[in-house]
Amino acid sequence: MLLLQLLVNGILLGGLYVLIAQSLNLIFGVMGIVNLAHGGFIVLAGLFTYWFATTSGLSPLFVLPLAFVAMGLAGALIERFLVEPLMLRERRADLASLMLTFGLSFVLVQLALNLWGSDFVSVPYLQSSYRFRGLNFDAALSISGVFAAVISASLYVWLNYTLSGKSLLAASQSPTGALSCGIDVGRVRMVAFGIGVGLAAAAGVLVIVVLALAPQSANDFTLLAFVIIALGGLGNYLGVVAASLLLGLAQSVAGYFWGGNAEYVLPYLLLLLVMVARPQRFRQSP
Amino acid sequence: MTEDRPAALAVEGVVAAVGPLKILQDVSLVVNAGEAVAVLGANGAGKTTLLRTIAGLNIPREGTIRLHGEAIEGLPAHRITRAGIGHVPSGRELFPRLSVGDHLELGGRFSLPARRALLRSRVLDMFAVLRERIGQRAGTLSGGEQQMLAIARALMTDPRVLLLDEPSMGLAPKIVLSVFETFPILREQGVAILLAEQSLSLGLAAADRAYVMDHGRIVLSGTAAELASDSRVADTYLGR
Ligand SMILES: Nc1ncnc2c1ncn2[C@@H]1O[C@H](COP(=O)(O)OP(=O)(O)OP(=O)(O)O)[C@@H](O)[C@H]1O
Ligand SMILES: [Mg+2]
Repeated sequence: MLLLQLLVNGILLGGLYVLIAQSLNLIFGVMGIVNLAHGGFIVLAGLFTYWFATTSGLSPLFVLPLAFVAMGLAGALIERFLVEPLMLRERRADLASLMLTFGLSFVLVQLALNLWGSDFVSVPYLQSSYRFRGLNFDAALSISGVFAAVISASLYVWLNYTLSGKSLLAASQSPTGALSCGIDVGRVRMVAFGIGVGLAAAAGVLVIVVLALAPQSANDFTLLAFVIIALGGLGNYLGVVAASLLLGLAQSVAGYFWGGNAEYVLPYLLLLLVMVARPQRFRQSP
Repeated sequence: MTEDRPAALAVEGVVAAVGPLKILQDVSLVVNAGEAVAVLGANGAGKTTLLRTIAGLNIPREGTIRLHGEAIEGLPAHRITRAGIGHVPSGRELFPRLSVGDHLELGGRFSLPARRALLRSRVLDMFAVLRERIGQRAGTLSGGEQQMLAIARALMTDPRVLLLDEPSMGLAPKIVLSVFETFPILREQGVAILLAEQSLSLGLAAADRAYVMDHGRIVLSGTAAELASDSRVADTYLGR
């Protein structure tokens, strides 16, 4: 029963991780750049949610659509006016984009520090839990995990079953081929970056419902997303789902038996393992 | 050239560079509606650069490019596609993880639904093997099937001018023939074809006229028959 309980918690956590990783993977797949500001967007949205929920007394879930749209628009603007000019001008565009998003991550963290300070906070929301067949479903974790999984699944459906989604996949698999179909690849890149950032913000809203956050957590989330993508395969959407569930389960089990520190270092250990055992994982799959 | 009926494609005095390197020098050529014209040249002559420049993937430094009389040079590549220039790029540039059907759907994205349906049934009649592979990922097709798909995708954009960059590359002669056999059907529909080829015999067999390129310049031009009997072509420019 205990193992089953840990399994349930792990899967719910994994559902949240899918969203955290998939949003980074989307930007990587289309633009070929790793967005190091990813965690910055997550904590900014998460802390805003905390501020909103505690000042208004409303459910943090109200922030979800707002955060997605507002941060998505901000992401699109960042792509158009910061990323794109740099990618066109620089010879080593990949390196330049890393430096840009690294710098952006500092700006976001500093912004959050100035607005809300450096304390770890969490939303006191849904402290109850549901019981079903002897299993405990923590309300916050359930809602957060299920919402995140549904959003990720919608992204998957949009990408694979609609014309606009397929245009995005096409632009990521061959920009020249997409242009020869009349697809405006520049616009696709802007949309992809915007959606990626918007989904990171949505993830931030769902994270603060479950975990305590501070501005300085930003890099932990960037790394977490990166580990999952490395495990699941760059640009590989279903692989990332499997890797998220795996990490969620592993953390749930490790956290129970060896405590919070074990849970915390697990992603770093996994990253080391993947880097040593499967270095080819860090190249994009064809 | 009479002014009342402009050529399908008219390239005039085009100079183009890739990065700091000037690759095309004062290139001019004309392709009329329903005509098939070849651009012949050895490795590195500049054929791919010329086709990419016409398709808008490379912006010319000087010169004009007209599609049925309208200047298109300097437009973004996706606009040039929508204006009526279909490009079958070098290396095919398919989407390896998308299906054959997806490629046709994406190629036809900017056509009206009725037109799209007509184009789709036309290309599937032309390349029957694609109909059998409609749900299969492009990355799993054979080389010949991939080339057919690249052409089919370009045809789905409903082009008035079709640019083909070495479609014979890596294909068995029999497959090349079946690809080239589609040209007369397209020409009857009024499509103008510009074909880049390294192989002199293939290029001259498929085209009415040809231009020979060397070091980024057009050095010879004429009808296929004239060039076939001109020993300079094979000896000097296409190095046997
Ligand atoms: N991106 C690039 N950077 C530098 N040089 C380039 C680039 N693209 C083309 N070139 C150079 O431009 C010249 C023409 O190349 P292009 O690919 O147009 O020739 P081609 O006639 O298509 O040759 P092939 O038959 O081998 O395909 C070559 O000398 C090539 O090295
Ligand atoms: Mg070439």
